[in-house]
Order: sequence, then C-alpha cells, then structure tokens
Amino acid sequence: MSSLPPVPVTGIGCLCAAGTNLNECMDSLFAGKRNPFPPARFSSDHPVAYPVFEISNAFHSGGSNQRSDILFTAELALIAAKEAIENAGWNREAFKNKRVGVCIGTTVGSTMNNEEFYRSYRSGENPNMEAITRFLNSNPAQVIAAEYGLTGPCQTVVNACSSGTDAIGLGASWIRSGMCDVVLAGGADELCRVTYNGFISLMITDDSPCKPFDASRKGLNLGEGSAVLVLESSDLYRARNQPARASVLSFGSGCDAYHLTAPAPDGRGLKQAITAAMTACDKTVEDLAFVNAHGTGTFDNDRVESLVLNELLPRIPYLSTKGYTGHTLGAAGAIEAAFTIACLETREIPASAGFETQDPELPITPVTHQTPVKGSIAITQSLAFGGNNAVIVFGRGDN
Amino acid sequence: MRTAIAGLGVVGGFGYGNEKLSRVLISGKCTPKMLPLTTKNQTAELPVYICDTSPLETFINKRALRRVDHFSKLAALGSFLALEDAGVLQDDHQKLAIVVATGYGASRTTFSFLDTAFDDGDACASPTLFSNSVHNAAAAHVSILLKAKGPNLTVSQFEMSVPSAMMTACQWLEDKVVDAVLFGGVDEYCSVLGYCWQRFFGPDPAARMKPLEWGDQSAIIGEGSAFFLLTRDEGDKPKYGFITDIQIGHVRKYKPQSPEDACLFLGADGQKSSAIHYAQHIPHGTHSAVYTPLYGSFPAGFAFDMAIAGLSIQERTIYATPEHAGNNSGLKIFWDEQRLASEQICCLKFSCKGEFAMITMSVT
Repeated sequence: MSSLPPVPVTGIGCLCAAGTNLNECMDSLFAGKRNPFPPARFSSDHPVAYPVFEISNAFHSGGSNQRSDILFTAELALIAAKEAIENAGWNREAFKNKRVGVCIGTTVGSTMNNEEFYRSYRSGENPNMEAITRFLNSNPAQVIAAEYGLTGPCQTVVNACSSGTDAIGLGASWIRSGMCDVVLAGGADELCRVTYNGFISLMITDDSPCKPFDASRKGLNLGEGSAVLVLESSDLYRARNQPARASVLSFGSGCDAYHLTAPAPDGRGLKQAITAAMTACDKTVEDLAFVNAHGTGTFDNDRVESLVLNELLPRIPYLSTKGYTGHTLGAAGAIEAAFTIACLETREIPASAGFETQDPELPITPVTHQTPVKGSIAITQSLAFGGNNAVIVFGRGDN
Repeated sequence: MRTAIAGLGVVGGFGYGNEKLSRVLISGKCTPKMLPLTTKNQTAELPVYICDTSPLETFINKRALRRVDHFSKLAALGSFLALEDAGVLQDDHQKLAIVVATGYGASRTTFSFLDTAFDDGDACASPTLFSNSVHNAAAAHVSILLKAKGPNLTVSQFEMSVPSAMMTACQWLEDKVVDAVLFGGVDEYCSVLGYCWQRFFGPDPAARMKPLEWGDQSAIIGEGSAFFLLTRDEGDKPKYGFITDIQIGHVRKYKPQSPEDACLFLGADGQKSSAIHYAQHIPHGTHSAVYTPLYGSFPAGFAFDMAIAGLSIQERTIYATPEHAGNNSGLKIFWDEQRLASEQICCLKFSCKGEFAMITMSVT
C-alpha cells in the first residue's frame, strides 16, 4: 500500500496549566512540575474540593488578553493560534492570498450552558441576552477565521474528548485534498462548573492529583487550555523555505458503538484507529519512538489503553501527560499533539506524571523518568465519550 | 466530487418520512404548534414547528430508548428512516461512518442537567443527563443502536454546520476512508431557545414565515432531523441524485457561483440579519424556490433543503414555493409545481455573519 503524503507542521501554539506557551509547557513537563488545586475561578458545594489544572490566575486576570465579547474558550483558541502563526512565520497580511482553513475541536466552547443566565431564566426573570450573544460570538473556528480574515473552510469539531485529535486529522486531509494551502488545526476548552459537576457526577474524578496508569488511580482531574498547529501544503512550505517541525503522516479513527461514556472493554475502536493510522502511513512498529497515550487516570480508560498498547505496540515507550495538564477535554488531543511534536524534536519524553505503582491488571508500564527515545515517528491518541477513538502518527520534522 | 445519495430520512414539524415531506411540499402548508412561554411578567405563546419522535419505537423497543433524549431520538429516527429508505436497514453496519451536524446540540438536556444541580446541589447533578448533553451524544446513540463502528464525527458551526460537516462526509468517501456515510443535520427546540428567540426578535412572533420579504423578521423556530445515506458514485443511478459541488466561503471575499441553468433552493428563513445577503448576492431573475415555511428556522435546517432537492431529483419535479413566502425578492420564484427542467439544484445558505455555503445536487 502506498502511504499518504506527509503534511508539514510549520508552527505550534500551546497553553495550559503547564505553561502559557509551548516552551514553558515543555520546561514544566521535563521539570516534573504539576500544580493541581481546587478551582479558583468558581466554587461548588461538593463536600470535597476536587483539584483541577487551571491556567494561572495571573494570566487569567492579566487584563491585556481579557475579552468580554467572547467565551474564554474562544480566547484560548486565539492565543494558541497567534503563537502558532508567529512560530510558522505567517501573519494576517500573508494569509490574504492563500486558502486558509480552520478546524478546531471543543466541548465547552460549543455549549450554551451559562449558569447565571439560566438560573435567572428559571426563576422567571427576564435575563439579559449578553451571555447568549457572547456564546453566539464564540464558535472557536469562526472566531479564529474572523480574527485573521480567513475565508476558507471552517469547522468546529465536537467529538467530546477526541475533538482536538480529530480536528488535526481532518485539517491534514484538507491539505492533502488540495482544498487548502494552510490549515490552523487544534482544540480549545475552558474549565467550567458544568463539566466539573458532570465529571464528578460520573464518579470518574480523582479527589487528589490524578495518577494515570497507576494501581491506585481514582479518576481524572479536569484542566483547560488550547493548542493550534499550522499545517501547510508541501509546495508552500518548500517555497517559503520554512522548516517543518514535524509532519502529520496519518490519522485513524474508529467508534466502539458500545456505551455513551465507557470504552469498549476489548478496545476494539482504539485498535481500529491505531491500525488504520499505522497502515495509512506505511510505517512499522519499529519506527515508533513513543506513544502519547490518552491516559486520563480513570479506571476503564487506562485499562483499555494499556491492553491495546500491549497487544498492538508492545515494548514501545508510552506516557500520559495529563498528570501535568489535567484532562482538557476538546483541547486535550491538540495539546498532546503539540507535546508529541516537541518530544520528537528533543528525542526524549518526560516521566508519566502521577504513576508510581504498577497495576497488576495492566500488562505494561508507562515511562517513570525522563527517557531518551529512538525512532522517527510517534503516536498520539484520544478516546472519547460516545466511543470515539482517534489516532495521529507524527513524523519527525526537519530539525 | 460525486457523492451518491442512496437514502433519505426526515423528521420535521410536518411529520416523519419522505411521504409526509412530499405531501407538505404539494400542499404548501405546515402549521406550527403554539407553545406556552412563561416568564415572571407574562405568559406568551410561541409558534414552533415541533416534532414527534414516538415513531422511533417502530424501529427500536422502548426499553432500549429509555435513556435516549429527544435530541438523540430525532437523530435516530432520521437515521433509521434513511437506512430503511435505502433498503439497507437490516444490513451489517460495522463499517458505516456517521457524521452529524448540529447548531445547538442537546439543549434541552443541557438545561435539564443544570436543573439537577440547581435543585438539589452540585453533588446531585445527574450523570445520565450530563453524558447525554454532550454534542456528540446523538451520533453516539446512533452508532450504538446501529452497531456502526466506522469513523464518527459531530460538527457544530451554527448555520454552517450542515455544509461544513457534509464537506468532510464527501471527502471521506472520495478518499476511500469509508464506503458509506450516514449523514444528518439535527437540532431541537427547548423553552430557553424560545425565550432567546423572543428577546432577540420581539414579543410578537410572525404568524407565518415570509422569507422572501428581505426586510421582514418573520422566522418561526423549528426543530427536526434530515439524514442521508451517502455512497461513492459506483455507476448506478442513485435515488436522489449526486452531490457534485460544495462551496463554502464568506461574502467579504467570494460570492457563491452557481451553474447557469441551475435553480436555487434558498435557505432564507425569515431572519432579517441574513436576508440582506440573499438580496445582495443573488442576481435578479435567478430561478429560485424557498421551502423554509414548511419546516421552520433552525441551524441544521439546511439539511431539509437538501432533502427537498433529493425528492425533486427523484420525482423530476420542482415543488411550488409556499404562497405566502413573499413577493419582493426580485427573483424568478417557482410559484407553481413544475417539471424539473434543470440538471442541477443548488442549495444556498447565508449566515447572519456573511458566511455562505452552496451545495450542488445533480440528477446525473
């Protein structure tokens, strides 16, 4: 089978609790820093204060970045897009004569769930429409397109926790098909009380810092953030003489068709996604440097991922970075894609934060310390509500 | 690009199924229900094209549906009808991909989830409602009910949700990622949306939609789902023709380009803020039709124009535009049912922000 043409990644932007740009994030990861705390921006009446990975208060209330006309999720998307665009050497003016698409994953950013508005509505008052107008102005892909005057395809992917991974995979296909010269692809999501209460209600939230793949894992910690990759056509990046930081080699997805919130116990959808992605890029397991697993820290997710990785990709080093960022939902796949590329560049991966004790039910062990990696490709994978599974294979870039 | 449409399933304020859609197109009349809308100072009534999803029980037993909400039921009923229409309902759907487009997702369930936390405290928030409130819940339920294990995608781009998602569905087929895609647009009504509607557009709702009166705000809120079974062009003549082109852009840089002899199905839905773009960007005298008064105004409504285009291709008929749609458009409106003379129908939608999408459907 002939492989798909690689899609160059020429720029990356990323922010989350680990840092406000990609370099800061990677410094935190390799320094082993992680700072989950009870939420500072909202309160709840749960008897336990479940920790979250919140973007620092100083950043959030910094003023210069604060916009009242859009949701914070859309603002996060804009900040990551700006970093990515600058990193790739593009600017608003240069985009004018190019077909530029935007494909962004989210969950919170697409949901009309303003509590203050609804509480007022429910009590029979006539709440003003400011919150709704803000929501209607906050479709993340649309916001980025409007900010940069882009008129290409625009898509907000709402595939729950695999949204960011799906968005990058779809964006790469827009480049391959010739539909776009450049695609800004990624994901963004903010912390909010609604998802906080929702995940706690499902009893898959840890009341201490999350411990992906650990024997004593109790669930996830929520996080927030965004990441955007600049994907561009091979012709364009060659003409610009811009080095590629990596390339999207392939994308695979599969659906469990099993349960709304739990993964299929045999991991069939994940196996399908990994197999599809590896087949499409025409690489072998021996080429693989590492796997950036979804690794939420929930009992079911980690068990299924561990079983599938052991079966399909045995002896390949793997880690979860959610111990550093929390689970950023629709942004997670994009943030982890950014980390995957950065690790391919430095040829080493950080320790899988939160892991200490081997679970006897899990057949494999994540990396426990900073680890040099060989191999020219890496996988990042996401599992989601609805049984979605999405996998991207990245190839090492020009550096 | 040539994507074949092999099956069609619709659920709207007019009922469910292609026969009901045909009937409402022939009669040109669909009456919205008046639903109460209560706030502290007033009780009002709002016209809504509301759907009944109980026919889903002819496909799936009640027990399997007990935790499936109205939004997902709309999608499931549309899906089953499309597969039944294509004659493949009983087939193995393991490799079937599902693509769903929605503007607002499961809004009723989202607010019901908030109710549980408001009523009894955060610790009593309902896990069932939370898991059903995510935007991809409908696509997930459909995949579970059909055991469809192909790629599964939900897109939310407000009024551009349907064309944006359709672009991906067609590309998956063209790239041979999958052999068949079950594609659908779905949105539901909820009372909070009704309240927002009144606040944005005033307390006196229009009695009927007049989408071709560009200066009038006459939209009537709707809900529903329209699903399509899409396959590659394998040389057969599909029931509902082919999708041959998708244009997506913004009026600040492009204008939609339709083939010379095509007739346009306009997604104008009585929203004054988007009507201006139809008035400005469609050449006077263009042969056009509009059917929004038969299903209402909601983000995924574009899928209904595509369904009507499919029926028009199947029957080789252009259905009459409902008579009260308006007389001041400057376009050549199909006021009477007539034979479809053109080979192509272009479904055109402008958003209030100036985005546009045009999907061309061809007989051959």
